[in-house]
Amino acid sequence: MKSNVKKKTRASVFFNRCGIRCKVLFHKIGVAIVNFFRRMRAKIKATNARVKEVLTQGNGKVSASMLIMGLGQLLYKQWIKGCLFLAAQVGFILYFVFRGAKDFIGFFTLGVRESNAWYGIEGDNSVIMMLMGILSIIAIIFYIVLYVANVKDAYRIQSAVDTLKQPQTFTEEMRSLLNRNFYKTAMVLPILGVCVFNILPIVFMIVIAFTNYGGEIVPPALIDWVGFANFGKILSLGQFASTFFHILGWNLLWAILATALNYFAGLGLALLLNKKCVKGKVFWRLFPILAYAVPGFITLIAFKYMFSYGGPINQMITQAGGTAIGFLDIDAKWMARGIGLFVNAWLCVPSSMLLATGILSNLNADLYEAAKVDGANAFRQFTRITLPYVLFATMPVLISQFIANFNNFGIFYFLRGGLYLPEYFLASDTDLLINWLYNMSIDNNYYSIGAAISIIIFILTSVISLSVYVMSPSYKQEETYQ
Amino acid sequence: MKKNIVALSSHIAVLLAVILTVGIVGSIAAAKSGSEGANKFTGELEHGATLRILENDTAIKQGYLGELIAAFNQKYAEYGIKAVDANMDQYTDLENDGPFGYGPDVLYQANDRLMRYPDGKHILPLPVETLSCYEQVSEKAWQSYTNVVGGESYVFGVPVNAQGPLLYYRKDLLPENWETEWDDDKNGVPDMIEYWTDMYRYSKQVKTQNGGKKFGYMRSFLEPYFSVGYLYSYGGYTFGNNNTDPSDIGHSAGNAHLGAKVIRQLASVMDERCIDDSVTTGAYAAIASGEFFATVTTPDVYTMFIDEMVAAGMSREQAEENLVTVTMPKLPASGDLTDESQGFVDNKMMGGVQGYAISSYTKYPNAALAFVDFATSYEMVLRRNELLGIVPARGDVAEQVGGLSEIINGNLENGNIVVMPSIKENSQIWTPLQTLFQDLAKDAFRTSDIKYDTEDKIKAALKAVDKQIYDAIFTLKD
Repeated sequence: MKSNVKKKTRASVFFNRCGIRCKVLFHKIGVAIVNFFRRMRAKIKATNARVKEVLTQGNGKVSASMLIMGLGQLLYKQWIKGCLFLAAQVGFILYFVFRGAKDFIGFFTLGVRESNAWYGIEGDNSVIMMLMGILSIIAIIFYIVLYVANVKDAYRIQSAVDTLKQPQTFTEEMRSLLNRNFYKTAMVLPILGVCVFNILPIVFMIVIAFTNYGGEIVPPALIDWVGFANFGKILSLGQFASTFFHILGWNLLWAILATALNYFAGLGLALLLNKKCVKGKVFWRLFPILAYAVPGFITLIAFKYMFSYGGPINQMITQAGGTAIGFLDIDAKWMARGIGLFVNAWLCVPSSMLLATGILSNLNADLYEAAKVDGANAFRQFTRITLPYVLFATMPVLISQFIANFNNFGIFYFLRGGLYLPEYFLASDTDLLINWLYNMSIDNNYYSIGAAISIIIFILTSVISLSVYVMSPSYKQEETYQ
Repeated sequence: MKKNIVALSSHIAVLLAVILTVGIVGSIAAAKSGSEGANKFTGELEHGATLRILENDTAIKQGYLGELIAAFNQKYAEYGIKAVDANMDQYTDLENDGPFGYGPDVLYQANDRLMRYPDGKHILPLPVETLSCYEQVSEKAWQSYTNVVGGESYVFGVPVNAQGPLLYYRKDLLPENWETEWDDDKNGVPDMIEYWTDMYRYSKQVKTQNGGKKFGYMRSFLEPYFSVGYLYSYGGYTFGNNNTDPSDIGHSAGNAHLGAKVIRQLASVMDERCIDDSVTTGAYAAIASGEFFATVTTPDVYTMFIDEMVAAGMSREQAEENLVTVTMPKLPASGDLTDESQGFVDNKMMGGVQGYAISSYTKYPNAALAFVDFATSYEMVLRRNELLGIVPARGDVAEQVGGLSEIINGNLENGNIVVMPSIKENSQIWTPLQTLFQDLAKDAFRTSDIKYDTEDKIKAALKAVDKQIYDAIFTLKD
């Protein structure tokens, strides 16, 4: 009776603590959002004031730069800069006339005429139009940025002249780009690279989620914009919605378990191999590193074979007189999930171990001496010294591991791919959202639905990662450890 | 002054808007319209054409493509026409590569892959009646490359190679007394090779006698290509209207549940390896070592068995003498492998036809057609058979080489080989069927939680798989 009351009290204390933590978390997130919008409002106000200042205080030469890029600079006898701005405007207008306008409009229409290869009719390719449309929008944004820089520059020259200062010559500005403002020069190529190789594909993926691309609608058929219809399908279509929530639940559980298992197993291994009493540490450390060095998919295929009916584990079982076990077969829901966790740990624990080993080597041994003197046992030393220190240093890595596990495509694709269970729509009970996305997009051609799922994955992982990071010591106690 | 500045700014804004608008309108006006082409097969060879030929990897490795190209180039040298290896992945996707000029001019692929292309008009309808092979290829083979586009029926490919499963068995592992005990009809052919009922009985005997270490018949049920035939044999089908109507899915049609029962029964005389695919690659060695007496697979892997048997210590002559390939045994009409009272039905199997097609994006359609005609000529198909061991779709070559080629062509002709559907929805049947067959095979080894112990449960499972395929095709279509 007493023990029951005790258990109930403990449980209520636990839930109260959880409740308080959740409240604190949501409060912090709320404050962060409010602060974000406040900062945005302040920035917009400041920008408006600057625009007003240029419009009201700018002289005729500044206005000339507004009309034709570089004209103001030319009137101030800044020949090279003026010509460059002018060339940029001419270049943009030429691009827009000969290509950009068509691409820009194409982004909205996604084509009006189907191609017919039999008759050599070169129709519109919606996918290419979408891509080129995004590029044209990036070009327009780039032009606007350049235009604003041009006006700001003309106004800056005017301000210098008005205050009887000598405006910077082109050579001086170029020099400053190699010295004081070198960071700007250094950022040009990376920004271009990010635009082409990161932003373009991400934006492309996002916009696909708002089209009917996939199934029957693949080029040469023309694609259309469908708004939020794909998201609606995911959440409302009977079997489809239930599959989504089934997989989402398992995906969250998997990500939490896999991350925790890999992290603590790696830390445990590092602590073990850090012990003075362990002989041949280098030798023992070699084994996990070897496992880490073998390409992941080879390991996965090997494990699939090991756990198959014809694999060595079942051979040993049957030779010993037992019955073969379907470790990964159709009925093996939780066993297959457990094997997935184990195999994932096999692949990821070594990197966690190496990370923890590096961090532990920087930990001050005096702290442990002091803790011992104060009577702290090994567990207390771990929870009060080791874990907070390692968690602080590795929280960003932990979050990235969580995201990687959330989106861990290979594990169940290689271990248990090729199963669609009746309760699921084009998925099995071990599939993660990323596997389902693959089944949709690649195996069944439903690209737009796949893109919509990937946006949902992105939102989920972002919210979880940010929330965890805000609650972590890495964020809360940044100054403490510096 | 301020007013002037504000007025000037608004003028600037208007001017910019005008410039952009003029640019946009001008650009739209400048957009070109494509010109319609006429029938591409005019009969006039394009002089100086270079044709990119996509062949399968085996043909390249075994040197057949090299021979084919050399012979073609020699014959068409006077026109300056040259064929080259397209040097692309054998499963290259014309849908994505073709429109941008990266695809091959001529493709050699299986009918289920090639026939994904007509809907998007990525391959050309061919004037096949002008080809030398036209009369020699069976109607069934031509059908596998026929599709309706825009209400008209066209032929899109030229069959070269027919494929279908065969039973492989070790003659030297037959019981010594087979002529007296296992040849009831005294026709000189062992009963287990003729009837699945006897194969089942023999397999059970082998497994029992060897304590589960050796098996009579063994084959994984995981691959629908080899398993769906049991459903076909009892009235099931994949798509209705001769595999052309994806809205009619019929794996549960007729008495297909009897085929599912056969799978479940056959699994019981194997071991659990028939549930997953771990036995597939090991089958060559297992046949060679005598662990398995018989298995089912395609004719193109014949040499793999022979190589393994040679590696196991036999001479090549001995191996070729001992390894026998025959057409599939007959199934009991009752769907019960222990009951012969209702007679037998043919064991239908899924098969395929590989052949050539011409890309719609080729600049040289007439030269490409000349290449296809050359590659499907009697001499080249015969040479292909000699080098690659393929089963020729040409009747005259099949007759010439005899043996397996005749059997498979015969099966194709009499409908015992059901050619894979030639519509793109076919890609959505594999995983649901694979799951079903895995579940049926597994059921033979379940003890407490048996799923399919009644015909009604099997029928329900088949209906569920049909619905699953239907949903995969149609749920997101609208």
